[in-house]
This record gives sequence, structure tokens and C-alpha cells, in this order.
Amino acid sequence: MLELALLAALAIDPKDLKSLEARKNFWSFRPLARPEASSIDELTKAAAPADRRTLIRRATLDITGLPPTFAEVQAFLADRSPNAYEKLIDRLMATPQYGERWAQRWLDVVRYADTNGFELDAERTHAWRYRDYVIRSFNASKPFDRFLKEQIAGDELYPGDDEALIATGFHRAGPQHLVGGNQDEELNRQEVLIEMNAGVGSVFLGLTVQCARCHNHKFDPILQADYYRLSAIFAGTEGRDVSIASSGDWAAHAIERWEWERRIAPVNAAIAEIEKPYRERLRAEKREALPADLKAALAIPREKRTPEQQTLAKNAQDQSTPSWDEVLAALSPADREKRTALRKKLHDIELDEPPPPPHAYAAVNNGKPHATHILKVGDHKMKLGTVEPGVPTVLALALGGAAGGEVTREASGRRSQLANWLASPSHPLTARVFVNRMWQFRLGEGIVRTPNDFGALGERPTNPKLLDWLASEFVASGWDIKKLDRQILLSGAYRAVRPVKRRIDAEVLRDSILAVTGQLNTKMFGPPVKTPLEPEVYDLIFTEYEADNLWPLPRDPREMQRRTIYLLNKRTVRLPMLANFDHPDAMSSCPQRAESTHALQALSMLNSDFMTRAADTLAAKLGKADPVRDAYRLTLARDPRPVERTMARDFFAKGGTLADFSLALLNRHEFVYVP
Amino acid sequence: MFHKTLSRRNVLRASAQGFGALALESLLQAERVNPLAAKPQHFPAKAKSVIFLFMVGAPGQMDTFDPKPGLKKYEGQKLPESYGKISSQFTDGSTPILSSPFEFARHGQSGAWVSDLFPHLAHRVDDIAFVRSFHTDSVVHAPAMYQVHTGRTLMGYPSMGSWVTYGLGSATDNLPAYVVMPQPEGTPEGGTPCWGSAFLPAVYQGTLLRPGNTPILHLKGPRPEERQKRTLELIQAMNELDSAPGDSGMAARIASYELAFKMQSHAPEAVDLTKESEATRKLYGLDRKETVEFGTRCLLARRMVERGVRFVQIYSGGGPVSVQWDAHKDLVANHRKMAGMTDQPIAGLLADLKSRGLLDSTLVVWGSEFGRLPMSQSGNGRDHNMHAFTMWFAGGGVKGGQTVGATDDFGLYCAGAKYNMRDFHATILHALGLDQHKLWYLHNGRHEKLTDFGGNVIREVFG
Repeated sequence: MLELALLAALAIDPKDLKSLEARKNFWSFRPLARPEASSIDELTKAAAPADRRTLIRRATLDITGLPPTFAEVQAFLADRSPNAYEKLIDRLMATPQYGERWAQRWLDVVRYADTNGFELDAERTHAWRYRDYVIRSFNASKPFDRFLKEQIAGDELYPGDDEALIATGFHRAGPQHLVGGNQDEELNRQEVLIEMNAGVGSVFLGLTVQCARCHNHKFDPILQADYYRLSAIFAGTEGRDVSIASSGDWAAHAIERWEWERRIAPVNAAIAEIEKPYRERLRAEKREALPADLKAALAIPREKRTPEQQTLAKNAQDQSTPSWDEVLAALSPADREKRTALRKKLHDIELDEPPPPPHAYAAVNNGKPHATHILKVGDHKMKLGTVEPGVPTVLALALGGAAGGEVTREASGRRSQLANWLASPSHPLTARVFVNRMWQFRLGEGIVRTPNDFGALGERPTNPKLLDWLASEFVASGWDIKKLDRQILLSGAYRAVRPVKRRIDAEVLRDSILAVTGQLNTKMFGPPVKTPLEPEVYDLIFTEYEADNLWPLPRDPREMQRRTIYLLNKRTVRLPMLANFDHPDAMSSCPQRAESTHALQALSMLNSDFMTRAADTLAAKLGKADPVRDAYRLTLARDPRPVERTMARDFFAKGGTLADFSLALLNRHEFVYVP
Repeated sequence: MFHKTLSRRNVLRASAQGFGALALESLLQAERVNPLAAKPQHFPAKAKSVIFLFMVGAPGQMDTFDPKPGLKKYEGQKLPESYGKISSQFTDGSTPILSSPFEFARHGQSGAWVSDLFPHLAHRVDDIAFVRSFHTDSVVHAPAMYQVHTGRTLMGYPSMGSWVTYGLGSATDNLPAYVVMPQPEGTPEGGTPCWGSAFLPAVYQGTLLRPGNTPILHLKGPRPEERQKRTLELIQAMNELDSAPGDSGMAARIASYELAFKMQSHAPEAVDLTKESEATRKLYGLDRKETVEFGTRCLLARRMVERGVRFVQIYSGGGPVSVQWDAHKDLVANHRKMAGMTDQPIAGLLADLKSRGLLDSTLVVWGSEFGRLPMSQSGNGRDHNMHAFTMWFAGGGVKGGQTVGATDDFGLYCAGAKYNMRDFHATILHALGLDQHKLWYLHNGRHEKLTDFGGNVIREVFG
């Protein structure tokens, strides 16, 4: 039992502590208990293995997010060696697509997007480096404890390591409200902290700590004080874009920027020149219509105005400033035409804007952590006592330590200690939560079917021995992601026949269509790319200003055929095809994709420009001799069966075209389900 | 093991309160094949569908339905110091009081107050319940819009329409269950999350609906109809071939193509206004330049609910400030313009619904993300006021001809009972026969609800 004084310092009611002592034995807080077993298969009852054709399609889609080619399937079927499947898994795991596929999964969980959200929803210029960092980490099989530490405290633990600094973008992955006008800074700060706490809670702890923001957690032994102690770890943490550029980068950028500005300035000036007389005329008219007192105030020289007259004069200015759309509406047809041409020129030059020198979209210490108060019902205007940084009491107790004191009160090092605590081999949650994500990713359902909730309301593990075996193996392997992943992929459970199939994920669908139609550009990394938006969707981009260049497309059309993970993920404007197929909204952590089926999916799969282009491109690739066979090989990596030959013949006999036939194949269950 | 259209737990919760195991199984089965299959209300209630008219940018309550004649006395003066510091997004409460430049009069049998901005709507007040004491928690458009639409100022929660279609399913196979019609000039500040399904499956998201040839995105393909039909037949035949027996996900996918085809054939008719009588077109102001655009959307809304669409969301305003109700300056010109575009169409909608017997089953809601301050901005405009504003309800079991709640003499704060967005949402769900506490979805370890920890149904609204 802790000293009363310490309890007071921790803002813990002795009654609560007693209850925590009792509840620290909840299943997920208990130490890992490694059962005696040498493999997954010893701990699971798997159905009969699926056939080899199924296995290669399943594994290729799962591991790379792309379907296998006909040649790959043939080679696998022809490989009669006893370790053919093992070789297949090893080949797939060695592709760079392995990291892209895993990264998307991780980005779902950390709710990554490329924009801030809310009304301005501005692009985060440097955020993509975090996305690339995640891809590289999975491809390199970075040990998970290191991966965790870099994201939580890369700046503190690995000073001078750009990669680790970039990793701290984790804390800034969620939405953030950035807007003009008067600000409630404390509220804004609370919102940032809410996101940071939710990140650690959902992603690493698998606990709904955010439920303890307003009151002690209703179901889990997490106190409101615990929430704020966790929050206090971030009290000195702030988001900042930190330069990782060399002086050479800066110098080169300065020159490029100067040259670019020299190109764009005259175009801007020419546009302003056209607008000027109209703006002035409108302003004069508006001034003329002002009430007498405002007019009078304006007439007084600025330096002679009384405070009251200053206000009136300011009002007069406000009221007589024409809006941009009034100016545009006033233009003569000839001037409008000239201006439109200039805007086009402007936007063309804008495409060449030199990117800023590299920065890490980071979270770092500002050196002056603010005091952290417990907030009554989470309201920053209702401050209760202060708390010091710390981890959830129940977990401190479960780990055999005393509550409190595990995190420093210094300005720096708070997050390092959190990271080290989370990455401790004896932590009951960290490994369990991650191996469960891995199992869920590969098998469709987690061993715990609520991957972000290992608490009381979450589900109990369906196979607790397996969970603990995987977690123990994982820790013992040095948190080796690829090793564990390989064990799962080689398991009987993964290879078993599946009575019910999963639909491929939204981005796998798009990428697969690009791949089989020969359009996919496999270029990796770099700033996010925009692809064409339907006009209806373009109109959904919020702006109060001229809407003529809100979605500039890249000059090189091949850029628009890159994998979905590289597409600009804008929180308020999602690509319909992705949104329709349950691509997550990146607002809160998505532990598991929903899988809904509805008519709008069918409409976009039949009628969108993307699909029309895909079908046409595919049709153009088909040979004259046997286009049906070619189409089957390209889309489904197999030859058509007799019944399918007949279907095709009937289809063409009734006037069906090759493009329509191609479209139909891309709409097939077999194409959109993981077998 | 791999199935998850909706997790079983969530389905049970959402739609089968108090059902026997057998009924539950069949409901689950129907849900797997069509997640939008109609579901029973939790309790009998009149409203079957909702039309939500959202005034983007926020009309001033003291300029529309909540007269404050007392402001005249304070014209040009500061707010009494007893009010303390008022902060808004752009002003700090120190600017002078601006009385309403609009004239108010009482209308209808109920004698409800309406300003001269709404001469047409003034004829419908006996069908309307005005609630003058709503408040939100943010003076910034997007967070406040999220609160009105989703219950939270933060992003990431499902919109009302998503919750309602999740709870009740759809009464039509031919059209989306939940449609949204933004202002053609642009989107509201909150953008698509205002009709997003957030963590609910995508099937519950709002679908954009536009007048004209392609009312729904991707409704029409590049192929002539005959070819489209043949392609669809081929797809369906191949997918029958691919379907494992008992795989409800695959069966659902086949059904979704049938629904898509139905939608393709029915949606153009549903938005075809040429069959509407001259009188109806006039009623909505389709004969006037000022009202034709918003009138068209209101008329479409009626046609949608007539055909079983569950939730219709219409935005007045969006994009440029000049096409929003956001009158930071030049209140008179702004509100005259915005009201001029919407007054007759909204009044027409209420009248039309009533004459067709649809008003009983359609809840019409009018509102915005907050109200405006009694103090001025830039001399002749108003900044945002989250403390008090008016929204109104009509139809769907609402007792018209009444005013609920009140504001203080300045229209700044609520006086007496005040209602937050949880109450607003609880009231709407109640009208639809949905129990706010039974409509929930397990997300990240939390039983998420539209009303979070619960709101109070504003009973007076229903009389």
C-alpha cells in the first residue's frame, strides 16, 4: 500500500487504489505466460490447407497488396520442391511492396492523413516522410521495440538521427484544428494532448485511456488522474517541423525559390493590374454609399482621428472593401478572358514551385512543460489539482512496481521513459497488442477481436495460449516483426481453406486494377500525389476563395498511377472509390476495416472514369488470337474454364465488347476477394 | 471467422432490441445481404424520414425568429458590463450593440414572431415549433458544424443521417438511403464529415445528390444501356459461379449490383422535375431566378422522402462568404440575399408536404451551427454567438405553432431551459422512434452514440 502522501501527490483516492490492487490481475495486465509449444500449429486447430493456386493468390494479395501474375502462379505450381511455399513467402516478404502493405495497416491504426482536417484542411508539407519512414521500417524489419521508441521519443532517445526525428510524427498523425481569429489557446492545447494520449492508448496500449478524460474509466481500472498523468508526459511536447536539411539544401533552395518567384511575380502583377481599376471603382462606389458618420471619419486624416473615429474609419474600410468575387463579377468579358489565361499561366508555374528543404514533421520538447491539471469533465475551464507525469497506475502495479515516480519531472526525458516502459519485455500489453494486430492482419480476425481494446469491454482472447505464445516468441526474438510474420504466414491456420472470404481492401482494389491493366507505377516514396477528382467531388473542397486550382494534378500522368499509399489523403475530401470500400477516414484509430457492401460500390466499379480507363487499357492489351484467355490470365492469373469460355462466347455473340468483358472480369468476386 | 459486414455484436445492439432469437437470426441474415434493409423503430413514432435544412454560416436569431426590440434602446452602446467578457471568433464583445434592421410581426393563429426576411415562411408558422435556446460549444464554423451534425466538436464521429440509416435502414431500394445536397457554389466549412459515416461502415455515409442528368456520382457509365445491361448480366453470372454456398458477403455483393441497376433506372426519374405541375413548380419558386436553385433542391427533397429516402440534408450556403449566412459585415444585404433564396422554397416545401399528407411522416428541421451576437462587427455585421440560437422543427409528430425556450433581452444567452446538441439529437431520434441509448456502435472499446452520454428529448416540441 502506498503512502498516503504519495497517493495525494498522485491525486489518487485510497479507495481507488484498493480497487486497482484488486483489478491489476485482469487477464491482459498479467505477465505473459508462454505455453510449452514449438509452433503455432501446436496451439491451433487448422482446417485442411487450401490448394496451391489459392495459396499464392492469398499470400501475394496479403503480403504485397497486389495480385500474382500468371507467370508467378505457373512458376509456383510447377515448383514441386517440399519448401515451395516457404520460398514463395520469402520471395514475397523480400519485395518492397511488403513494407507498403504493412505501412498502410499501421497508418490506419495511427489515423495518418496528409492534411490537418477541419475547415482549412491544409496539406501538411512534410508529413509524408513519416509515411515513408513506416514503409522503410517494415521493409527493414526494424525491431518493434525500436520502432515504438522512435515514434514515442525518437528526438530524445536518438538525437541527431533524422529517421528517429521523423518517427515522432506519430504524435501529430491525427487531425488538428488550425483556424484564424481569436483562439482559446488552452482548448487548442487540450485538443492536441487528447490526440497524443489517444495515440499512445489505442495504438500501443490497446486501452481506451481516452475514456478516462472526463471521469474515472467506467469499465477499466484507469483513473481520471491516470489520464492526466499520461497527458503530463506530453506537457512539454509540441508539434514542430524541424529542418533536416543541409546548408547546401538551404542554399540551393534559396536560389531555386528566387528563380521561381521571378517567374511567378510578373504573372501575379499582371492579374492585379487587370483587377485594380475594377476594385477601385467598386471601393469608390461602396464608399459613396457609406453612412454619413463613417464617411466623415474616413475624411479625417488618419493621425488626427479620435479612438472612436478610428473605429468608425476601420468599419468604413471593412464595409467598402470589395470581395474577390465582386471584383471578378465586375470584369468586362475581355478582361475576364485575359485574366483567365493569366490564371492558367499562374497555376502552371505554381506546379514548378520548388519544394521546401527537407523537414521532419516532428514532435519535440519545448523545454517548458506546463503544469497539468485534472480537468473536471474534461473541461479546461474547470481545473482541479495538478498531477505529475506517470503511467496508468494499474499497469505500474501490475508490473510489480509502485505507482508514481516512473516518469521524470524534468522537461526532457518524459517520453523516453514512457517509451522504455512500453518497450520493456515484461510489459503485459505492448507485445500482446502488436502480435494481435499481426494475427488480425493476416487472418482477418484478431485473437482478441477488439484490437484497440484489451480492457474490460473488449473481447477476451479466443485462444489465450496462442496469444501469449506469439507475444513471448516476439519478445524473445528481439521484437522481430518479419520473423513473427513469417511464422504466421507459414502456419497451418493461415494456409487453411476459408469458408468465408474477405473482400480486398479499398487500396488493394485500386492498386490491383492498375497492376493487372499494366498501368501501375511502382515508384516508391516522396510527397503525396493527386489523382483526378470527379467534378462533383472537386466541388467538395472547401474554400471561400476562387476555386480554379484547388487540386493541381501532376505534370507526369504516370504519377497518377502510383500505389494508393502515395495518394494525397485529404481528411475532408476522400476519393469516392476508396471511401465507398471502407478506406478509413483517418479521424480516429482504425483497428480493423469495416467491410460494407452497397450499390454505390457497384456504380463506381461499373461507371467511373477510372474503371472505364482500366477496362479500355486492358482490352487494348489482349491479343487477337485468344483475347479471352489473355484477359483471364491478366486479371485472374489463370486460363478460362470451359463454362467461362461459353459465357464469353455468348457475351460476344450478343455484341459485347472486349472492354466490357474486361470490365466484367475486374468486377468479379474472384478478383475482389482474397481466396 | 472471416465475416464482418457489421460485427455481430453491433448488429444485435442496433436493430434487435427485444427480439426473439429466431427473428434476430433472420434480421441478421437480411442485414448481411442488404445492410440497408428497413428495420423497425424502437417504439412507435410518426416521423419516418428527415429533411434537415442547414443554413451555413449562421443566421442571426435576433434577425429571424427571436425578436429583441429592447436592443433599440442600446443601439450604439456597449453591452452592459454585468455580462462580463464575451469572446467570439473575430470580436471581443466591446463593439456596440446593433439592433435588428429587420421588422418583426406576429403570424398565423399561433402569433409566432417572424422577421420580414421570411414573408412566405410566415404563413407556415402554425406548423412550426421554434426552439430559441439552443447552444453549441465553439464559435468556429467547422467544429460547431461537427457538433450539430455529429454531436462532437472534434472530427471523426458519424453524422445524424448515418446514425438514422444505421438505426432504421432504408425504405427504398431504388435510391440511396441518405442524400445530401450542398450549395452549388461550394461546400460548408465542415465539409464532407458533416455527412460522413466516420467509424460506421461506409454504407451509412451520405450520398451527394444533384439535379440534372447524373444525380448520383457514377450513376451513368459510358456504355449505351443495352451494353451496360449485358455487361451487368455477365458480371452477375460470373459472380454466381464464384459464390461459395453460404457466403453472405458474396451474396450481398451480387445483390448490390442489382440495387445499382435499379438505382440506375430509377434515380433519373426520381430527380426529373418535368412532371411536376406548374403550380408545384411555382410553389417552390422554380419560376423565379432568385429561388429556382434552392427551390429545385427542396422539391427534390420532397420527391426523395416520397420515394422512401430516410434522410435528406440540404445546405443553404457554402463556399464564398458571399454565399453564406456568415454576415460579419453588411447584415442587411447578406440576410436579404440568403433569405430571399430560401424563404419561398422552404415555405413551399412545408406546404407541399402537408398537402400530400407527407408532413406527418417527415420531420423538417431548420438550423445552423450557432447564432450571431447582438453586438456589431465592422459597424453593420455580427460575429458568431455559440451561446444561443434558434432552430425549428416541423412535421413528423411535431406540435406546430409554438415557441419553446427563450433568450435574454439581448438575445445573447439562453434564459431558462437551454438545449445543447445532445438534446437536439435526442429529440430528432425520438421523433423517429429511436431510443438514443439503444442506438449505439462499438468502436475502439466504446459504445459510441450520437448523443454520447445522453441528451434530453425536448418533449414540448411534440406537444
